[in-house]
Amino acid sequence: MKRRIPNPFEKIFSYSIMSRLDESASFTSTSHERAWLKRMLEHPAASGAFTAETLGKLRGLLTAEDDLSFSGGFVEKAGAAGRPLYHPLLRPLRRMILAGSGMRLTIRTRSGLEFTRQPGFPYKLEYSMARREWYLLWYHRDEQTLLTTKLDTVLGVYAEPVSETETAAALGRIKDILDARREQALIEVLPAYRRELSRILYAFSCFDKEVIYEEAQEVYRIRLTYLSDEAEYVLSKLRFLGKRVRVVEGPRLQQRMLESARLALGRYGQG
Amino acid sequence: MARESFDKEIQFLRMLVLTSGAYDRQQYARRLGISVHTFDKTIRRLKEVLGTVYRQLPGEESREFADMLRYRYYESADPLLLFLYRAKSLKESESRRLALLLSSLQETPQTALELLDTCCSELPDDTPLPDEKTIRSDLKYLEEVGVIRREPGPRPYRYRLQDGLLTDLSFDELCDLYDYVDIMANTQVPSVQGYLLRDSLKRALRIKADGMETADRRPLQDRDSLLTEPFCYKYHYPSRILDEAHLHTLLHAIEHRRRIQFLYFSPKSGAHYGSRNTNPLFERETSGTLESAQPLRVVYDHQYGRWYLLAAHPKMGIRTYRVEGMTQIVEGEEVSEDVHLERQQALQMKLGRSWLLDTSRPVKVRARFYRPAGGQPDWIRERVELQGQWGCITEEDETSFVYEIEVSGTTEIKPWLRSFGSSCEVLEPRRLRQELIDEWKEIEGYYEAQDSESL
Repeated sequence: MKRRIPNPFEKIFSYSIMSRLDESASFTSTSHERAWLKRMLEHPAASGAFTAETLGKLRGLLTAEDDLSFSGGFVEKAGAAGRPLYHPLLRPLRRMILAGSGMRLTIRTRSGLEFTRQPGFPYKLEYSMARREWYLLWYHRDEQTLLTTKLDTVLGVYAEPVSETETAAALGRIKDILDARREQALIEVLPAYRRELSRILYAFSCFDKEVIYEEAQEVYRIRLTYLSDEAEYVLSKLRFLGKRVRVVEGPRLQQRMLESARLALGRYGQG
Repeated sequence: MARESFDKEIQFLRMLVLTSGAYDRQQYARRLGISVHTFDKTIRRLKEVLGTVYRQLPGEESREFADMLRYRYYESADPLLLFLYRAKSLKESESRRLALLLSSLQETPQTALELLDTCCSELPDDTPLPDEKTIRSDLKYLEEVGVIRREPGPRPYRYRLQDGLLTDLSFDELCDLYDYVDIMANTQVPSVQGYLLRDSLKRALRIKADGMETADRRPLQDRDSLLTEPFCYKYHYPSRILDEAHLHTLLHAIEHRRRIQFLYFSPKSGAHYGSRNTNPLFERETSGTLESAQPLRVVYDHQYGRWYLLAAHPKMGIRTYRVEGMTQIVEGEEVSEDVHLERQQALQMKLGRSWLLDTSRPVKVRARFYRPAGGQPDWIRERVELQGQWGCITEEDETSFVYEIEVSGTTEIKPWLRSFGSSCEVLEPRRLRQELIDEWKEIEGYYEAQDSESL
């Protein structure tokens, strides 16, 4: 059978077909999707993601599929160096999240301190694209706080049942904590760099943001919303963009930018 | 559905996402090069699709629409922009018929004539009944895209749904597969096919879970989010999904050594699209340029989450196009294999030392990085090793280390060096060192003024 050019615009993906299939609980997968999966299963992460049996079964199901070859047609630039993509704790923790289960967690902090058998509730597994590292977001049941722990520092974890009421309460509390941690800053694109607007907006597209445009002065301002513990990342993005942007509201970021500039000039003997 | 409409919708969505709510209708329409009427019509259509796909109530204003598309990090890892690829309008009768064919094939393999009978008996009275020719051409299409396959055996052929991936797995296996597809689609490129697959897997997972977890009394919404949203991905670029729309077309042209023609809107120009209006009332000068080039390589830039095309231009040598600005791509004549290979190799040589795409003369950059003070873990070194591409660390002591890299031009590496703030001091070349000093002075100026105002 002659295959078509892989094309994500096929009519089979149409929302009207999808919603009808939804009603009859039928599923479809196209050869393009399966070819993509086949290629992804060649990634070293696959062996950590599945049991050997499942992986064998999947590969068996995909043997007849075309190989998705890009024949050197594209290349990725300025990415981060490879670190293993899967972490051995992903599967067990994901199962605990799915079951709405509690857990006991033993962690060793960066400074070498060990916290054993901490009572927790796993919330989400977060991957940092910048650091190429997995983190566990979890709720500490005794201290009633939300913590972020690098999976590499988790020494041991086991499931511990919690009641459904406790699960619901933890989920509610997590939402409140996240809301309380939200911070905002207003960033202005300097008029001289308006030609680079598209690039600048792309750089901020990974944040929760709203753009304000003042037609009279032709000024663009970006209102960023981020969690307080993300401030360092926001700062590195701001320094990345340099003089193209200026923080116009957000005293903490402004102070840190001023500090950065002064210390940097100090390094160059210009302080 | 015409490609023209997709070109428009991609530009439309990209602008809504990037500038989320900055402009009013007139301003949007002007920037998109379309009429306000077309703007309203497109918003209405996209809202309808979004409403069907995500079961949300569509709002009234474009502002609300932009809000719906906003990034909601912890609430959902669903790539909302994916719905662009779902936004194909089919005739009501066609979508009914195709869905019916697929759902009846799910139960049992059937021949074309059996399917014709099924359609005649199950389609509602107000739907026109298909003839055998229509059913055969539907089956041919579904077979071509690999959704169904013909069973071995003599005529008349029986067709079967290719849904093994979604039905032959146990709940546990399906769960592992869903997770894997989710993680790969979110961390690797290309990803659109993965996101599309993720959608189907998600539905399959929900249905399997519903069959099993009858004892689970948690609210439906909580259960669903525990089931399908265990992961989040910090700081990836959702807009890359839109740029990826043209990827397979471009890769196809590269693989088959075909030239392409397209209408290009440089993102620097401020215009993003030019509709080919047939109505003279709306006719306007298009600000795009008609380009013809030989695609050599597509580059994905992790720093901004953008796709670029590098192509041989008949007059200007190697040209770089941002994929976001390309519309109405058409394949043209074939280029001979020798010429193609020669150009590709020449480009590869030039790109070898490019931080991104710059092919200027190679320069040696040396920079001193300062480790964090106060016994903190050395995340500076970690970051340099992770992101510093082929550069290496040449000397180090307790407080700092020197990183060295030979790179084509300094423009592209500069933002990265600057992002380290005072933890990085450029030593060589002198010119780059001076540029950074000047820039830091300027930045200091931005905030000194504010500092004294607030005192």
